[in-house]
Amino acid sequence: MDREGAETYLRLLAEAAMRGSLAPAAPRAPNASTILVAGHALTAVGALDPVTVEEILTDFRLAVTVRQLHSEPGQGSGQAVTVAQWLGQGRAALRPKPRPAQPPGTGTPGEGTPGEGTPGEDAGQDRGGRFVPVGLTVPFHAGAVSGELCLMSFAQTGTGARFIAAWQVHAPSLEVQLSHHYPGLIPFDEFTVTDDRGARYRLDHTPGSDLAWPNMIRLSPAPPGNIRWLDVAPPYRQAVRVDLGPGGPQAAGSPPVRGVTGGSSPGGDAVQVSVCDTDLSPGEHLLVMLAERLLTGTPELPRRGLLAAPPTRPRQVAAGGFGTIIAALEAAGVLSPLSPVPARLATLCASLDLTGHGIAAPPTLDLPEPWLSLLAHYQRRKPEPTQMREGYAALAASLPELDGIRVTLLGLQHTQGGSALHVLAQGRTPEPSPGPLDIDLNFPLSLWLRDSGGRWHAACPDRCHQADRENAIRLRLVPPLTRPADWVEVLAGGRSAEVRATLPLRWRYLS
Amino acid sequence: MTDAPNGPWFTSLPPCETLVPCGQGRHSVRWEAGELRLPSHADPEAELVLAALGGDKARCVEIAEVWRRHTADLTVLGIGPRGPADEVTVSWDDVDAAGQASWGGGGPGPGAARLASPPVAAMARAAIRRRQYQQEAGEAGQRRLDMLSLLALGTAFQVRLIGQVVAAHADRLDEPDQHGYSIRPALTAALAGRLAPVAEAWLGIDPDQVDVSLYGDDGWGSVELTGRGEQRRLRVSLPAWWLARVWASGLALTGRHLVVAVEGAGWPDAQVLALRAPGAEPVSLSAHAAGHPSGAADAPHWEI
Repeated sequence: MDREGAETYLRLLAEAAMRGSLAPAAPRAPNASTILVAGHALTAVGALDPVTVEEILTDFRLAVTVRQLHSEPGQGSGQAVTVAQWLGQGRAALRPKPRPAQPPGTGTPGEGTPGEGTPGEDAGQDRGGRFVPVGLTVPFHAGAVSGELCLMSFAQTGTGARFIAAWQVHAPSLEVQLSHHYPGLIPFDEFTVTDDRGARYRLDHTPGSDLAWPNMIRLSPAPPGNIRWLDVAPPYRQAVRVDLGPGGPQAAGSPPVRGVTGGSSPGGDAVQVSVCDTDLSPGEHLLVMLAERLLTGTPELPRRGLLAAPPTRPRQVAAGGFGTIIAALEAAGVLSPLSPVPARLATLCASLDLTGHGIAAPPTLDLPEPWLSLLAHYQRRKPEPTQMREGYAALAASLPELDGIRVTLLGLQHTQGGSALHVLAQGRTPEPSPGPLDIDLNFPLSLWLRDSGGRWHAACPDRCHQADRENAIRLRLVPPLTRPADWVEVLAGGRSAEVRATLPLRWRYLS
Repeated sequence: MTDAPNGPWFTSLPPCETLVPCGQGRHSVRWEAGELRLPSHADPEAELVLAALGGDKARCVEIAEVWRRHTADLTVLGIGPRGPADEVTVSWDDVDAAGQASWGGGGPGPGAARLASPPVAAMARAAIRRRQYQQEAGEAGQRRLDMLSLLALGTAFQVRLIGQVVAAHADRLDEPDQHGYSIRPALTAALAGRLAPVAEAWLGIDPDQVDVSLYGDDGWGSVELTGRGEQRRLRVSLPAWWLARVWASGLALTGRHLVVAVEGAGWPDAQVLALRAPGAEPVSLSAHAAGHPSGAADAPHWEI
C-alpha cells in the first residue's frame, strides 16, 4: 500500500481540476465530484484516511471559489460567490456520520457503536452462535388484523436471540402483505413466547432497526443458550412449538470449520461447501464490488431502454470515470497494471451502454459466469414470466470465514415480486465509509446465488442492523427468483478466498 | 542549498509594498529580503503586548501575525496563484465582510455547550464531541479569515508567501507534517500546478500532458519529452526549491528558456541554468530584470 502515492495522485487530480476550472473550455476536466469519487475509492481500500481526502477537497473548493469572489456573469467557469459562502465551505464529505443517539433504555447489553471494530481485530470473538432453521408458519388474529407469522430461522449469539421472520397481515381496509411494509400493524406485543422451563419472553423489533424492516424479531429478555424449545403463541390461539433441541444442526458455540460446516435444509439434506483461494488485491476487490453494484443498480428495463435509463448512482459513478478510480488504485499500489479486472469492468460498461467511463484497458470476453448471467437478464427483450409464489425457505447454514467475516445464511424470502436473502455477518466490521461509490463497506463481500435453473442472482445489501461485531443484513436478490428453486448455490467472494455452498430448499407459501 | 552558494532563496526578488486600511488611515506593509515589515508602526511588538492587555490591535500588526502563522502552511500552496494569468483578487472589504460573517453567524459559543447538571455518560460524550466540533470549526474559520487577509495583500505578496512556505520545507522533505504524513504530495502538487502552465507557454503542450515529480538528488533534475499526439508527455523532475528560487522569482520562463536552477542569485542581475528544449543540456545564461509589461514594479520580469 502506497499512502504517499495515493495522496499525490489525489492532489494532482485536484490540480488538474483546478486548471479545468480556470479554463472554461475544458469540458472533460475533472471536478469536485471526480476528486470525491477517487478519494472515496482510496479510503475504501485503506490507502487514505477520510480526513485527508476531505482536506484536499476543501482546499480545492476554497481555491476555486476564492477566484469567483469578483467574477462577472459569463466570466470563468463558475458563478460568483459571496465571502460568507466562501467561508462556509468544507462540509464533511467522507467522514463517518455520527450515529443518532438512542433514547435511554432502548439499547441492549452488548450493543455497540457501529464502526468501533477495525479491520484486523480478532474476528474469532463472539462468533459462536446457535442457528436453527425453523420453517413454521404461525397464523394469528388480533382484533381487525389477521395474518401469518412465518418463522424462517432462530439465531442466538452474544448479542441476543432473534427469529428471522416474514409476515403476512390482512386488515379490512388494507389488504396488504407486510413483509416489507406497514410494520406498525403487526401485533408483536400480543404474542407470548414460553421456553421449556416455563420462562416467558416478549417479541420485539430489533432495537435500532428501522420500523420498515420487521424481519428481525428479538426475544426479550434473551433466553439461556441451552433451552430445547420455544412455544410461540398468537393471541387466543394454540402455541406452535419451535424445536431448538440438540438434534438441531448447530449446537451453541460450535466453532466454524473451514471446509464443510454446519447447516442443513429443513428436511435434513446435507449442505455442500467448498473453498478456494482467490487472492484479490484490495483494488481488485473494490472494483469487483463496484461492478456488482453497477450490475444490481441497473434499472429493470429491456435492453433498448438502457440508454434512456435514469442516472442511478452507480451509473453516474461509471459515467464519471472508472478510469480515474483505476488510476487512483494503481497509484496507491493496490491494483496491478496487469490486473484483468479493469478489462472486465470495461466489458460491463460496454454491455450496459455506459460511455465515458475512461477505462484504458480494452474489453475482454473473460467475464465471470454470474456477471454474464445478469447481463443476459438485462439484455432480454421482454419481461420474464414468473412462476414464483410468495413464500419462504428456512435456512441456517454458516459459511467458512472469509476475510475475517463469518456469514450465516438465515432464510430466503419471496414477496411482492422481490426476493431477499437474510444473513448474519459476524466478525470484522469496518468503519462505515459513506461516500459516492454506493457500496456497503459494512459487508465487504461479494454474494451471489445460483438457482436450480442455473440462473445467477446478485445479493446486494438492502437493510442492515449492526450490534457489536454482528451485522444482520437483508440482501435483495437481483434479479428476483422467477421459479421456486429446489436448491441454491451460494457464492461468497472475499479478497482472500471464495466459498461455494449448495443448499437444498423447501419452500413454504403464504396463504 | 538554503543560502549558499548564491544567497537566500529570495535574493532575486525585489521588495514589494501595499497599503492596508489600518485604524483611520491606510498604512504601508512592505516585504523585503524575506521579511514582512510595518513602516508605519514603530514598535509592533509593543503593540502586541498592549493588545494582549486588552488594547486594540492594529490591522497591520494582525497581518504581520497572520503572515508569521502561515509561512510554513502548505495550504497556501493549494490556494495561492499558479502563474501570472491566475490572479486571485480579494479586497479588504471582502476581509471585513468575512470577519463579520464569521463572528456573526457562529451559533452558540463555548458557554452554550456547558451542561447545567451532571450529565450521564452519553450526554457527556456528546458534549465533548460538540465542543471539539465547535473548536475545529472555529479554527477552520480563523484559518480561512487568515487566508483571505493574506490574499488581500495582493499578487506580489501571495507569490512571495508561496516562496517562503516552500523554503520552509524544501530541505526537510523527509520530515512528516503535524499529522505524521509525508509533505511530498503537497509539494509535488504545488510544483505540478505551477510548472504545467509554464510548460504550456514554453512548448505549447497541453498542461494535462505534463508529468511532474519531485527531484531529490544532486543536480537540477531532468526534463524529457516522450510520445506523440495524445501519448505525448513532458516528464519533468525538479527539486522543491525550484518553486521558491525560480518560479517565485519570476524566472521560470526567461528568454524562451525553461529556467531549471539559479546559479547566481541577485537583483536585478542573476545567473541561471536554463533549457532551450527538453532533453537538451542546460546552459548558463545571464538574466536581467526589466520592467514588467504590466508596469508593476514588484512583479519581476526577466530577459536574457
